[in-house]
Amino acid sequence: MKTKKLIDKYTATELADSFVFRTKLTDKEKKESDMQLKEMRAKVQQGITPKQQLLSRIMQLKYQIEDYSNNAPYDINRSFGFFLREYLKSLNKKNKDFASDLDINETELSQILNKHRTPSEKLIIRLEIHSNKAIPAITWFRLLEKEREHQILTDNVIRKNESKHVKNRLQLSI
Amino acid sequence: MFIIEKATGKKHKVIVEPVINEDYKTITKSKYFFDWKTEKKYNVYKLRRRDNDSILGLMFFIDYAEEKRIEIKLLAVSKDNRGVDKHYERIAGTLIGFACREALKHYGIEACVSLVPKTELKEHYITKYEMLDAGKQIFLEGLPLLKMLNNYEL
Repeated sequence: MKTKKLIDKYTATELADSFVFRTKLTDKEKKESDMQLKEMRAKVQQGITPKQQLLSRIMQLKYQIEDYSNNAPYDINRSFGFFLREYLKSLNKKNKDFASDLDINETELSQILNKHRTPSEKLIIRLEIHSNKAIPAITWFRLLEKEREHQILTDNVIRKNESKHVKNRLQLSI
Repeated sequence: MFIIEKATGKKHKVIVEPVINEDYKTITKSKYFFDWKTEKKYNVYKLRRRDNDSILGLMFFIDYAEEKRIEIKLLAVSKDNRGVDKHYERIAGTLIGFACREALKHYGIEACVSLVPKTELKEHYITKYEMLDAGKQIFLEGLPLLKMLNNYEL
């Protein structure tokens, strides 16, 4: 079906609700249009409020956590502590004040940030509440699960230690 | 992200993900209007229900990293989802919202999503998605972009 036939068949609203068509601009049109877009974008940026800026940073962080948890390979540097530190940086808060916001000890926060302690379920829920649900608890939880999954797959020390506690192992083989 | 089944009003969760080679067997011009095979070299995305593999919409965009801008080049919903007889609402909006998500993920508050509309459709995109008018191009940035993410639950 040609575009002309589509235009005959559907209203403009229906078309806009179904398509973005390929549109060719001449070099001259493109240059002018890019310039106009640049100017308009600068105006939009001038009107951005600190609140919108913060929301945007928190959403950005949420998407980064989601995509890392769901699609990316495990990366030792992108830990729960790393992303929590990013959250903290976005808020421009000191550890002490943030710990107070969450009603936890500053030492506990520091241990979590430095990967010396695993965050509790309660803390994850508190983080959701703190961000006004902008980053849901499930997002933090999946991030934590990714770390746990990696640990259980690769921790040979724990295997060696636990092996001492297991008797009558099944002798299965193909 | 969800779409709404027009007949029942039921919400269905959806996924937007890259098109894989296998998909091109079912992506025909009669169903998705454009010849999507010619766009294979770009990042083409598909929208489908979480519980169903059938492709409900397609989109490809180009990421202009130096401008912190994503330009939607082409978008089409499947034939069954156009006009008054469509099965689902919100397919195109969710795809545009996904482009906003990608832009915000990379560029934060400076993120921009733009497109070059057909002249006769420009006002409709502006009305429906609160896109801003930059002459030949229309775009989402700042508050309207954040609103898209909120409205389409991304």
